[in-house]
Amino acid sequence: MSALAHLHRPATIEEAVRLLAAGDGERVRLLAGGATLVAMMNAELVDPAELVSLAAIAELRGIRALADGGLRIGAMTRHRETAAEARLAGAAAVLREAAARIANPVVRNMGTIGGSIAFADPAADYPPALVAADAAVEIAGRRGRRQVPAREFFVDWFATALAPGEMVTAVLLAPPAPGRGSYDKLCRVSGDFAIASVALSVAWRDGACERVGLAVGGCGPRPLHLDEADALLRSGRLGEAAARRAGELLAAAADPLEDVRASAAYRRRVIPRMVERAVAQARAQLEANR
Amino acid sequence: MRMEGTFEVGAPRERVWRCITDPTLMVACIPGCEEIAPVDARRYRARVLVEVGPVKARFNLVVEVVEELPFERVASVTRGEEGTRASILSAENMVILAEIGPALTEVRYSSDVSVTGRLAKYGLGMMKKRVDRLGVEFAERFRERIAAGATSA
Repeated sequence: MSALAHLHRPATIEEAVRLLAAGDGERVRLLAGGATLVAMMNAELVDPAELVSLAAIAELRGIRALADGGLRIGAMTRHRETAAEARLAGAAAVLREAAARIANPVVRNMGTIGGSIAFADPAADYPPALVAADAAVEIAGRRGRRQVPAREFFVDWFATALAPGEMVTAVLLAPPAPGRGSYDKLCRVSGDFAIASVALSVAWRDGACERVGLAVGGCGPRPLHLDEADALLRSGRLGEAAARRAGELLAAAADPLEDVRASAAYRRRVIPRMVERAVAQARAQLEANR
Repeated sequence: MRMEGTFEVGAPRERVWRCITDPTLMVACIPGCEEIAPVDARRYRARVLVEVGPVKARFNLVVEVVEELPFERVASVTRGEEGTRASILSAENMVILAEIGPALTEVRYSSDVSVTGRLAKYGLGMMKKRVDRLGVEFAERFRERIAAGATSA
């Protein structure tokens, strides 16, 4: 265990990026909520010499509406705030439900959406929810801001589209549409990481599906998503046959781990069951609305 | 944790053998390998960087050849640890070359790896996935080198 890390408290994103760029990715690390980073420091998995706390940067905090009606969730928004956000309704409720299932109240009070997705644990709750909702991730670096679709942001186990010296500044969502968003997680005990999880976001209008996003978590290096499965569910109007086929496709495309939570074969088996259940619930709501 | 794999190389077995026993060529093919230096006739010292998400681990390893049957098989043991940190790695490795044709060789490798210490906290499931992929990457680089005409002393 080395000496305590030096703590910076920049007031702007530009200053945080400058401090981050001075390191090599290992020596200087960003401190968001600390739910993961501090635990990793305690376990001696990482040992940064300098920490850049993002707590004093006002722009990173809170959820606000954009001019087009979309939502901007600042990177430092705690899971508890996201879980309680009433504007995350309809198709966007998938994100609120995922936030509510993260770990326990202590972690939800501490952990942030930016920290969670930058860490990119494939068994975590936000990644599949963001992919299902087709959210975008806003990133800041030395050369300014850029946006990456969530479907391209998660690239591998614990690896993202963030380049060295870049940070997550926000998650951006399209204007909330009527529909249903749901997040279901199969886990050993409440608050554990997922054995498998299913995130579904359906936008509908006049009884017809306009957009379907389905993603599976915990079953590969990144959230599992297939355009083909989304298209099947949309054209099949969330029907039983379409749900079965989508579940089969996702199970076939999965690349699950064997770990203490479950075998790879078990994970492949539960995916179709979870997909069919999530789609059946959405179908029931769609029919009730008609 | 056991890892194994097989790949084919479009070169005669003798040439493949010379390449896999050439430290300079191996540095270029082993993902994360920064240095290999012979210690004596049977032992090599190697430095390998392993990256798993935000965690970087640099292992100082000693590879000792315990059995060598030229052109056919080589068995070795690997032992080492991270510089100042507490991960210890040991492995028993086997590489077998099989002649499939005059210019086609099958390389079969297996390794029983055990890691203790901080890296083991990541869980074996993900480590195994990582290592399997390193094997695929090694095969690709090795084939490229051979195709590019790499030979060895």
